[in-house]
Amino acid sequence: MKLFIKFDFQAVCNSVLEERLQALGIAYKIVGFGEVEFLQKLSEEKKHEFVEALQPYHIEIVEDQKSILVQKMKDVIIDMVYNADTEVHVKSSVYLSEKLGHSYGYLANLFSEVTYTSIENFIILQKIEYTKHLIIHENLSLTEIAFKLNYSSVAHLSTQFKKTTGITPSAFQRIIEKRRQQQN
Amino acid sequence: MADDYTHIILADDDEDDRMFFTEAFEELKMNTSVRTFNDGVYLLDHLMKNEVVIPHILFLDLNMPRMSGIECLVEIRQNSRFKDMAIAIYSTSASEEDIESTFIKGANIYIKKPSDFKKLKKMLSNVVTINWQYQTNGLNRDNFLLRL
Amino acid sequence: MPLKSIYRAPWFVKVVFVVSLFIVFFIAGVSYKHITDLSKSQELVVQTYKVNVELEQILSYLKDAETGQRGYFITQDSLYLQPFLESRSKINNSFAELKSLTKDNPVQQKNLKELNVLIENRLENFDLVSAYTANDEHTELQFKMIFLNGKNIMDSIRVKLNGMIALEEKILKERQDVYKSDMKFTPVFLYSLIVLTLLLMYAAYAKISSNVDKLKRSNQRLEIFKEATKQSEIINKHGSWRWEVEEDKFHFSDNLFRLLGEKPQSFDHTLENFMRYVHPEDIDKLSAQVEQMKEDQELPFIYYRVVHADGSVHYLKAYGRSTVNAEGRVQLLGTTTDITDEIDHFNTLEQRNQELELNNKELAAFNYVASHDLQEPLRKIQTFLSRLEEKELEKFSESGKTYMARINVAATRMRSLIDDLLQYSRTNKSDEVLVETTIDSLIEDAQQDLAESIVAEDASIKVDRLPQMKVIPFQIQQLFSNLISNSLKYRSKGRKPEIHISYLKVLASADERLNNAQSDFYHRITFSDNGIGFDQEYAEKIFVLFSRLHNKDEYSGTGIGLSICRKIVDNHGGFIFAAGVPNKGATFTIYLPVS
Repeated sequence: MKLFIKFDFQAVCNSVLEERLQALGIAYKIVGFGEVEFLQKLSEEKKHEFVEALQPYHIEIVEDQKSILVQKMKDVIIDMVYNADTEVHVKSSVYLSEKLGHSYGYLANLFSEVTYTSIENFIILQKIEYTKHLIIHENLSLTEIAFKLNYSSVAHLSTQFKKTTGITPSAFQRIIEKRRQQQN
Repeated sequence: MADDYTHIILADDDEDDRMFFTEAFEELKMNTSVRTFNDGVYLLDHLMKNEVVIPHILFLDLNMPRMSGIECLVEIRQNSRFKDMAIAIYSTSASEEDIESTFIKGANIYIKKPSDFKKLKKMLSNVVTINWQYQTNGLNRDNFLLRL
Repeated sequence: MPLKSIYRAPWFVKVVFVVSLFIVFFIAGVSYKHITDLSKSQELVVQTYKVNVELEQILSYLKDAETGQRGYFITQDSLYLQPFLESRSKINNSFAELKSLTKDNPVQQKNLKELNVLIENRLENFDLVSAYTANDEHTELQFKMIFLNGKNIMDSIRVKLNGMIALEEKILKERQDVYKSDMKFTPVFLYSLIVLTLLLMYAAYAKISSNVDKLKRSNQRLEIFKEATKQSEIINKHGSWRWEVEEDKFHFSDNLFRLLGEKPQSFDHTLENFMRYVHPEDIDKLSAQVEQMKEDQELPFIYYRVVHADGSVHYLKAYGRSTVNAEGRVQLLGTTTDITDEIDHFNTLEQRNQELELNNKELAAFNYVASHDLQEPLRKIQTFLSRLEEKELEKFSESGKTYMARINVAATRMRSLIDDLLQYSRTNKSDEVLVETTIDSLIEDAQQDLAESIVAEDASIKVDRLPQMKVIPFQIQQLFSNLISNSLKYRSKGRKPEIHISYLKVLASADERLNNAQSDFYHRITFSDNGIGFDQEYAEKIFVLFSRLHNKDEYSGTGIGLSICRKIVDNHGGFIFAAGVPNKGATFTIYLPVS
C-alpha cells in the first residue's frame, strides 16, 4: 500500500517552532517563512536552550551576519547613550569602529541598509528616548538630563527633542501626565 | 528583511487625500502595504473582524462623516488588541490644544496634512522609519509621540 | 467746655429743679430758725428788764422801810411804821419773783442768796432800831452803833443790787451781740442763695425754651420730610406699610394704594384686602412668605406681581424689618416698590445681550469654519501644484512656468492669510480657564517653535526670570511666539536681531498707562528689539486687524499677528502697548493683572 502525502513544509516547520517556543515560554512572532521574531530580549542561556531544542528536527538557526553586526552596533550605541556620564568621551564614530573592528564608512552603510536609518539618527533617537524615560520615571529636570547625556546646553537638548518628536519636552511631560490621570 | 512589510491603513473620507496618500507610498518604495477606508465606520467594521491582520500604523482623518477620527481613536484605544498599533492623526489643521488632546486620548503621531507632495512623502517615510525603530528596538511605546 | 456740656445734658433741667427745691427748703429752714432766735432774744430782754425792775423794787421797799422807820423814830408816831411793816412781805414777793426769773443763771442765784442775807441783816437792824425807839432807851452810844450798822448794811445792799443789775445788763448785751452778728450774716447768705437759685432757674428756663424751639424746628422738618417722603413715594413708585405685631394690625401709606392702582385710603388696611390685588399665580407664595414674616418678625426681599383694576400686571418688591416704637411695642416697618420698569429694562437688556452673544458666536463660528474649511481645498490646490511641478514642469512653456510660479506665490499668501485668520478666530474662545503657569517655560516653548528662524537669523534672545502667572498657557505661548517672530520678521538688515524680554511687577496706580486698571498690581513684560522699528504715530494702528505698515512685497505680513496679540492680552484682562523708533527698534509692553 502506498499513500501519497502532501505536506506544507512551512506549516510543519512553523508548528514545530511554535511548539518548542511555547515549551520554553518565549514570547514570539513568526514573521514569515524561516523567520522568528522574539518579542522579548532573549538571554544567551535561553537562546542556547532554543538552539538545542531544535536540533532533533535538524532545524538550525541561521543568523544573518550583517544582522549580527548591526545588532552589535545597536548594543554599543545603546550602552554608549545610557552610560554617557561614565564612558570615555570620544566621537561615536571613532568609538564604534574601534569597538567593532570595521571602518566607520562600512558600518554606516551597513546600518542604514538594514535599519532604514543612519547611525546618527539612531543615536539621537536613543538619546531622546532615554530623555523621555528620565523625564517620566526619574523625574529629572531638563538641565540634569542635558548634563547626564553630555549635551552642550539645555537649549541644545530641548531643540533636538523638539526636532525629533515635533513637541517640546514640557508638552511631552504634560501629555504623559494627563494620559496617566485619564487612565486612573 | 525583505519580507518586512509595514502594514498601513488610512481612514479618510476625502478621495484626493486618499490618492495622495497611496501615491506617496507607491513612490516611496518602502515595503509597505497600504489599505484605505472611506470613513470610520468602515474602518472599525474591518478592524473588529477576528481574523484581521492588525496594521502597524493606522492613519485617521479627524473630520469624517458618521464617525470622526477622535471617536475611532477612543474606541480603538479601549481595545487591548490594538495596543501595539501606532495611531497617527492625519488632519488638515488643529489648534495646539486639539493636538494635545488627541495625544492624551492615545494618538502616537499627529500629522498636519502638508500642501506639498514632496513634504508628504518625507513625512510619511519619517513616520514609517520611526515606527520601525519602535518595532525593532524594543522602545517603550507609551512614550511614542511624534508631531509632524 | 464742660459747663457747656453740662448745660446741654438732657438731665440739666431735672438737676436744676431738684437743686432749686433744695435751696428753697434750706432758706425756709434758715428763716424759721432766725425768727425763733429773734423771739427768744426778745424774751431775754424782757426778762432782764423784769429782773432789774424787781431789784430796783427791792431797793425801793427797803428805802420805804427806812424812811418809815425814820419817820417813826422822829415822831414816835406808829403811823409812820406802816410802810416798814408792809415792806417785809413785799420784799419776800419780789424775792420769789426774782428767784424764778434767774433760775437758769447760777451766778445770779448765788448773788440773790447773798442779797437775801444782807436784806435779812438790814431787816434785823430795823427791828433793833425799832426796839430801841419803842423802849426809848437810846443810850446814845449803843444806838448810834446800831444805826450806823444799818446804814452800812444798806450801802452793801445797794452795791450788791447795782452789781446784779450790771451783770444782768452784761448778759443781755452779750446775747444781743451774738444775735446781731447772726443777723448781719444771714441776709447776705440768703440773698446770694436766692440769686443763685434765680440764675439756675433762668438757665433751666433758657434750656427749656431752646428745647422747645428745637422741638418746633424738628417738627417742621419732620413735616417737610413727611411731605417729601410722600412725594418720593409717588415718584419712586414705592409705598410703605407698618404691621403692629401685638394687635396684628396693618397701616398702609397713601402710595401703597397707588401701587395697587387705587386711590389713597380707598379700602380698609387689611391683608385680605391687599391680597385681592396679588397675581393669582403669586398668591400662595406671598401668603406663605407673609406667614413666615409673622413668625420671624422680619421680611427678606420678596418679589411678587399685582394686577390692577385695568388688568395690567406690575412687579413689586417688598422688604421689612421689625423695630420697637416709643411705647415699647414691636412693629414691622416695610417698604414695597414697583419694579416693573426695572424688570422690563432688565429683560430688554438681557435679550439684547443674548442676541449680541449669539451674533458674536455666529461670527466666531463663521470665521472658524470659513478659515478651517478653506484650508482644505487650498491645500489640495497646492499639493496638485507640487505634483504638476514635479512631474510635468518640463512640458510647460516658459510663460507656463512663470504662471505656475505666480500661482504658487498667490496660493502661499492665501495660505498664510487663512492660517492667521484661523489662529485669530481660535483666540476668540472666551471659555478658557486660567491656569497657574511657569511663564519661563512658555517663552522657552515659543522659542522652540521658532528655533529654525532664530538660528537662521542668528538672533540672540535675552530673557529675564519671570514668575508664575495665571494664564491661558496656549494663548500666552502664542503671544510670545507672535512677538518674537514679529521681531525676527522686522529685523534690521544691518545688524543681528537682539531681543530682550524683561519683567517687572508694577502698581497700577503708579503707572500712567494703567488708567483703566481693574487690578491693583500688574505683571509688566517688555519685549524690545533692535529691528526697523516704526513711527510712533502708528503705535495704535498696528494692532488693528489686517493693518500693515509695509508693502507686502517688502515684508510678508498678513496684518493679523499683532491683532492676535491684542486679543490674547484682552482675554487675560490686560493691556498691550507698542512704542517704536524708526531704524532703532520696537518695544511691546504687556500688562497682565496679578490675580
